[in-house]
Amino acid sequence: MNWHAVKRQLNGWAILSFLAILLIVLPGIVVLVELFAPVNDNWQHIQEYLLPRYVRNTLFIMVATGVLTTVIGTSLAWFVTVYDFPFRRFFKWALILPLAIPPYIGAYTYHGILNYTGVIQTTLRNQFGITVDQSYFNIMSIQGTVFIFTLFLYPYIYTITRAFLHNQSSSMIENARILGRGSWDIFFTVVIPISRVAIIGGVSLVLMEVLNDYGVVKYFGIQTFSTAIFSTWFGMKDTSSALKLAGTLMILVIAILTMERLVRGRKQFSYASTKVKPLKPRPLQGWHRYAVFAYVSLVFAIAFVIPFTQLTAWTFLTFDTVFTEEFWQLVWNTVRVAFTATVIILLFALIIANYTRLFPSNMTRVISKVTTLGYSIPGAAIAIAVITLFLWLDDKVLDLARALDLSQTFVFRTTLIMLIFAYVIRFLAIGYNSIESGFEKVGKSFTEASRMLGWNTVQTFFRVDIPMIKGAIMSAFILVFIDIMKELPLTLFLQPFNFSTLATQAFKYVSDEKIHEAALASIVIVLMSGLLIFVSHKVLDKEAD
Amino acid sequence: MFVQINDLHFSYKGAHEETIKGFSISITKGEIVSLLGDSGSGKSTILRLIAGLEMPNQGVVVVNDCVCCDDCQFMPPEDRGVGMVFQDYALFPHMTVEKNIRFGLHKLNRKERNARVEEMLALVNLTEFRHRYPYELSGGQQQRVALARALAPKPALLILDEPFSNLDTSLQHRIRDDLRRLLKQTGTTTIFVTHDEEDAEALADRIVYLGEGKIKKQIMTENNKTFNPQIPCFV
Repeated sequence: MNWHAVKRQLNGWAILSFLAILLIVLPGIVVLVELFAPVNDNWQHIQEYLLPRYVRNTLFIMVATGVLTTVIGTSLAWFVTVYDFPFRRFFKWALILPLAIPPYIGAYTYHGILNYTGVIQTTLRNQFGITVDQSYFNIMSIQGTVFIFTLFLYPYIYTITRAFLHNQSSSMIENARILGRGSWDIFFTVVIPISRVAIIGGVSLVLMEVLNDYGVVKYFGIQTFSTAIFSTWFGMKDTSSALKLAGTLMILVIAILTMERLVRGRKQFSYASTKVKPLKPRPLQGWHRYAVFAYVSLVFAIAFVIPFTQLTAWTFLTFDTVFTEEFWQLVWNTVRVAFTATVIILLFALIIANYTRLFPSNMTRVISKVTTLGYSIPGAAIAIAVITLFLWLDDKVLDLARALDLSQTFVFRTTLIMLIFAYVIRFLAIGYNSIESGFEKVGKSFTEASRMLGWNTVQTFFRVDIPMIKGAIMSAFILVFIDIMKELPLTLFLQPFNFSTLATQAFKYVSDEKIHEAALASIVIVLMSGLLIFVSHKVLDKEAD
Repeated sequence: MFVQINDLHFSYKGAHEETIKGFSISITKGEIVSLLGDSGSGKSTILRLIAGLEMPNQGVVVVNDCVCCDDCQFMPPEDRGVGMVFQDYALFPHMTVEKNIRFGLHKLNRKERNARVEEMLALVNLTEFRHRYPYELSGGQQQRVALARALAPKPALLILDEPFSNLDTSLQHRIRDDLRRLLKQTGTTTIFVTHDEEDAEALADRIVYLGEGKIKKQIMTENNKTFNPQIPCFV
């Protein structure tokens, strides 16, 4: 590269992108460095007696949830795309709704429904005089954890696979039909192989969510990596070992991602033809029709209607005690912090996406990969890394203040900066992906046209690029906002003193065995997420046209 | 010479062979030059290099006494005073015809700007379509908007990338005559790229045949004799 090529690469976009990336990788570096630090006695104890159990539990939950969500998500996607049955159009988007219920809320709701004082057992006792064996109704087990994750995470696989089947498969399926293959046959010999990439993509999202979860496993008392990191950190006060656990977890994540790449391999076929024609659903006959309808309704009922109804009932039960001035404060806190973090994420995403788009090189390819890495690091690992980082930073600030003889110093640890910083690391990928695909759809010629008309990259960015990807920015905003609003582990451990959000307040009620009181905060989260999910699908559908 | 390009070399990232291997040309003011070649001959790449959308490995581009690029400097596209009509027109879909044309006129004051927009709308005969959005126009109308937009800032050099590739044949014939008249009327120095010999003959004063990143031969067209007889012939 000659020197003016170097100069062209080193512009404002590059510098801002490098700074953003640096912030993103900093906590990862903290964790990985600690992995190679000398071990203490505590770590040896953990490694010998506890780690095998954490690994066993975590792996069991991951494998079981992975298999079940795949079966449910793929079969639903298949039924909704290929067959016509009663209320198909309603189910098409309704089946996404369980995503609005964060698994930790689903977990305590189902525990509340199934336990001794819950609606099922009370009805059985009072109406029928039946007292059941408690072990049948105990959801707080590792199987119960899998049950909860499956119900509330299958939509990741459902949405991705459905979109794929809807857009990509019509001619193949029609051809297979003409060649005389039956439905089951087509499903296993055509649909599964061609949608493999989509399914694997969905499963890896589910697994990332499982690894990230803290709420469900903590409430159910299951020992996994997430709970282990926090209990080592707060219970044993052993930051070093907690960081080592976080590092081990990150290696597990990297292994999964590498495996995804390998399994996917060369099979990343997008469709060869550009003429994509959606599949026309086929009406079902006789009992098949009702069987499919029953299956789809059952999943929707268990994953959404039942928990939602229960939450609504509890909300009415406790409304007067919970709905106070402080509740408005909670809503305001949630919206404020989610909004701020989302705006920062979108700014970062726009700058980095525009840089990697305008100056494609090996360097920008790496930057683009690193940007999306944060989403795969579980909340527990980010939380401890960020705290370690800010403790160090506060120390330095204090030293500096002493050296300069200042009486007042700024302490990052007690502000929202720490929490927002952690959100940015974890959710930048979500915003970046949708903005990047927005840019891809639009292409570069409008930007070039604007530059040929005398505007530089910054002016072009505001006058042409941003207006052209408005839809993508909007859906990025919605996706990131929902995720931050529902987020639990980071918020729980990084929120400043005297600050709570809807999510952490709900979890606090639940931890204090006040399940009913948690309902109002939970239902506000569910309603807001549900509404935004609906809006974003409308936006995405419109974009697709 | 008004446009002077010397020994231009360029290769795409990761490619072993150079796409452009020592391209040189001089163009007088007001001349219309066509670059003719098969796909892969590097003709569009040469346009992008002149525009400043790609950076050459070596070579000099001078337009109207202004050094756009040589071994030690590289002027970004927005400062070159070169206008371009893109193959797909790249009309901004969120702006009306009028706003598209106005887009490049930010260096003028308001009064001059309004006058220039009117002038350009009249020139391409689209005054009554000023408030339409690009998707509400036909292919030929879109092309005229793209042309008006590129010409509005009075570029020293206009470049057109396959200007007729998106038009049907009957339209193509009429438009290329109109286009030539318009370019001569405004005295615009023009380079355009095409793979169609007939287009080149109808529109250009000179045709430059390209192959494998180099000039194969050059000829003056019939047009040249009527419009610009003083240009020497390079056959």
